[in-house]
Amino acid sequence: MNRLLYLLFLVCTTSFAQTQMNNTEATELQSKVKSLAETTKTITADFVQYKHLDFLSDDIVSTGKLSFKSPDLVKWAYVKPFEYSVLFKDDMLYINNEGKKNEVDIGSNKMFKQLNKLISSSVTGDMFNTEEFNISYFNKGSDTEVHFSPKDKKFAKYIKEFHILFNADAEVSEVKMIEPSNDYTHIVFSNRLTNQNLSDAVFAQ
Amino acid sequence: MRFLLSSILLILVSCGSYPKKQNFKEVTSEKVEIYNPYFSDSTKDYVYKADIKVFKNSFSGIFIVKKLSEARHRIVFTTELGNKLFDFEFQQENFKINQILPEMDKKVLINVLKRDFFALIEEKPFAINSYSKDDLRMSESELLGKKHYYLFVKGALERIVRTANGKEKVTFLFSGINDNIASEIQILHHGIKLEIKLKAL
Repeated sequence: MNRLLYLLFLVCTTSFAQTQMNNTEATELQSKVKSLAETTKTITADFVQYKHLDFLSDDIVSTGKLSFKSPDLVKWAYVKPFEYSVLFKDDMLYINNEGKKNEVDIGSNKMFKQLNKLISSSVTGDMFNTEEFNISYFNKGSDTEVHFSPKDKKFAKYIKEFHILFNADAEVSEVKMIEPSNDYTHIVFSNRLTNQNLSDAVFAQ
Repeated sequence: MRFLLSSILLILVSCGSYPKKQNFKEVTSEKVEIYNPYFSDSTKDYVYKADIKVFKNSFSGIFIVKKLSEARHRIVFTTELGNKLFDFEFQQENFKINQILPEMDKKVLINVLKRDFFALIEEKPFAINSYSKDDLRMSESELLGKKHYYLFVKGALERIVRTANGKEKVTFLFSGINDNIASEIQILHHGIKLEIKLKAL
């Protein structure tokens, strides 16, 4: 009996927590994201990254700062537990590994470039590209979670799905990259500031 | 004649075993066991920042080791951003590739990594011979068919040396040792330009 109650509870809470959006709602989110993107020139935010590997006891946690400048300059700067930054600029990766600079692109970053393109796109508003992704929309309280699963088979071998969580203001608040093995990287943003003056030095190589 | 003599002498010297060249004396009286504790605790997640220099390139990432059960280890390398570059598994000497980036899927590279990682995680290699010098102890073992010498300083494993024909091929250095964790590990190849530095996070 207890088990049945628990099951019922579980089913209810999950269905309350996440319901599929109808088309009208989805279109509304799309246009909200797009109009916000058109007025967004810069973004800075703190982030916490949780790397989840099923066989580990704990997620590997790192923290840092994201800087974005329209249309597609993005810098991820990790601060803890190591200093490391990667700047995406003109289709290149500029890495600063504890003071040592490097421009080498190790192939794997191709998919992070894709993710990055996705995050940049979410700011410019044109990421709801049904040619590249199967897209589904879910209500999560006042937030919306959008699932993108890549149609490209090569890409899908690395990333099964991206989940992007939009807050009520249609800003990206969380990103989750799920691998085919179900291991994932989960990034949570906080202290987001938009349209602050961002010095070019932030994006210097 | 003098050339012949010096050649013979050279051959004799270079044929000397690695411990003898280091002036170690063989220990015959006691049975010695080798224990490498650095990846031996299955309750721990071993997470290291890795800096790798290979030829003129350098790159970095996160090196993760987990002991899943007795003699079973998982070894994963990811970029700082979380992308998996490879995912290996050892069940004793049996090696399995769960995942590897196509760009890294090269037999030569995989063999080098397999040997290096096996030396890191093998906990109780069989001691064939043991040697000593002052408070240093050295034990000889064979891993995947290659000679390895384990150097213990006051009981703590500080170095593993893989040799071929009595010469150092690869040196594993363990430092900052505390509570069976080596906060820094270096894997230095002498034959090829490959250097792996690990720093515990």
